[in-house]
Amino acid sequence: MIRCKEVAALLNSEALAGAGFRKRLEVRLHLAMCRQCRSFARQIERLRAAVRSLGASLAGEAERKDLEARLLRKLSGE
Amino acid sequence: MMEPAELIARLRRRDPEALAGMVREHARPLYRAARGMGFREDDAEDLAQEVLTTFLETLDRFEGRSQIRTWLFGILHYKVCERRRQLYLEELNDPIDAAFESRFDPQGRWRAPYDLERAVESSQIGQAIGKCLEELPPAQREVFVLREMEELETPEICKILGVTVTNMGVLLHRARNRLRECLESRGWKGTS
Repeated sequence: MIRCKEVAALLNSEALAGAGFRKRLEVRLHLAMCRQCRSFARQIERLRAAVRSLGASLAGEAERKDLEARLLRKLSGE
Repeated sequence: MMEPAELIARLRRRDPEALAGMVREHARPLYRAARGMGFREDDAEDLAQEVLTTFLETLDRFEGRSQIRTWLFGILHYKVCERRRQLYLEELNDPIDAAFESRFDPQGRWRAPYDLERAVESSQIGQAIGKCLEELPPAQREVFVLREMEELETPEICKILGVTVTNMGVLLHRARNRLRECLESRGWKGTS
């Protein structure tokens, strides 16, 4: 029977894609019954959203500095 | 959108439209990834430029077997390693693994789940995660940024870093747990 620790490691490492049908089913059933592991799975989404929000602000930073125009000028000038 | 073969041919001729298209598509992601990996603004800009310059200078080596994006991020990885003058050696044992283990009882059930509620409710989570990223070892940080910020595919990342899918999984597992530990402690104390 699969335990929380293994589920957490599988979710974190994204190893489910390569896992067999049975393992994936076990994880899905476990998640249906385990609130804490569901919360853990949601945290992965939240980490992703947080770093994407950081990414968006970094893209904004690039835009404010006119990064594309400057790089294009430098590359074209070669 | 041009076919890769046509784009490469045009870039060889330094066709202005092809150059502009390449910059429009790839400059910001390269810059953003370099910043995400910990470089200051000026250095990130230099890196983005160096990557694109190197790409243009070595078009013959790019045989079109990868996506251009994969190739560019591969060059970025190489230049990042060069600047840091170190290989990304991932530790066999990372202290974060023991910290993770300690959150479970001997039967593998949760004993002390991560509590990120305070952290994720904060409007400054983007800032908080920026600070927490700084605490990641370089290989973990790079995998996390490429996967989650740049949304590269697993096979691409494996090619770029020269790691197996299993290695990459370990790096992501450790990165995510470190970020959780960091956000949990900051969330409790406030995000400053």
